Amino acid sequence: MSIDSYRFLDFASRQVMKAWAGRQQPGVIPFTPLGKPLADCTVALVTTAGVARNDDRPFDQAGERRNPWWGDPSFREIPLGTTERDVRLYHLHIDPRFGEADLDVVLPMRRLADLADQRVVGKAARRHYSLMGFILDPDVLVGQTAPAIAARLHADGVDAAALVPA
Amino acid sequence: MGLVARVLESRGIPTITLSLIPDLTRAVGTPRLAGLSYPFGRPLGRPHDSDGQRAVLRAMLDVLAQASGPGTYVELPFEWPESPARARNESKDLPPPPIVELMTKKPWLLPSLYTGRIPESAPAA
Repeated sequence: MSIDSYRFLDFASRQVMKAWAGRQQPGVIPFTPLGKPLADCTVALVTTAGVARNDDRPFDQAGERRNPWWGDPSFREIPLGTTERDVRLYHLHIDPRFGEADLDVVLPMRRLADLADQRVVGKAARRHYSLMGFILDPDVLVGQTAPAIAARLHADGVDAAALVPA
Repeated sequence: MGLVARVLESRGIPTITLSLIPDLTRAVGTPRLAGLSYPFGRPLGRPHDSDGQRAVLRAMLDVLAQASGPGTYVELPFEWPESPARARNESKDLPPPPIVELMTKKPWLLPSLYTGRIPESAPAA
């Protein structure tokens, strides 16, 4: 594997993530083929940067500070057209200043609109989604949050989702 | 993020997942994965580098369009323009994440973090 973003991390975090990688069981991997050419697809974005609009409920940083084993497993809708002026980043494990200076660094809605203009994709969805990163216990995330996002994606006629880490 | 992708795929939404730590994201069985050597917090590139951000997004979407089956993994060829030390230094003034503070104070909890087993003594959030 030539990809090595671990070099951007301190030694201890590197070791922890490598230990996690060795303990996962992929099982059967679900797969939905793309149903039409990308140029006809409505595409939605999902970020784990903990982006919330200033007129929406913030992600729960205080809860994670009280219990560092816990991460807020809820999600926020980010309507197309939202910019860095309208949001804050609540993820406590990254430097939020880059995404707050330019939201496309973590949630590239304007870049997706560019690609729609260039006919690479059909169009950008009207709603995109944000999660917190670093959630050690994935039960609520997998059992409730992701299914709720899937339902909204279907409701908006989304053909594919691009997931961006933070 | 790979776990979220799996839920979306199982409910009929095709996904492409970008990862800065693809060994971990791949290990959870991510349907379509693009690996990238960029620093955390800047997955699409530097602020205001529209061309660079667009290139990363475009490359992700190419993997989405070209993947032939589950477990597809492609390494994106982009290189971060600064040294890792310099990228780390830009965020040196930030406080450590809560879990890192906890490990500094109570290093005997490190095995729990390594194994991902959340201790029963963890306080309610």
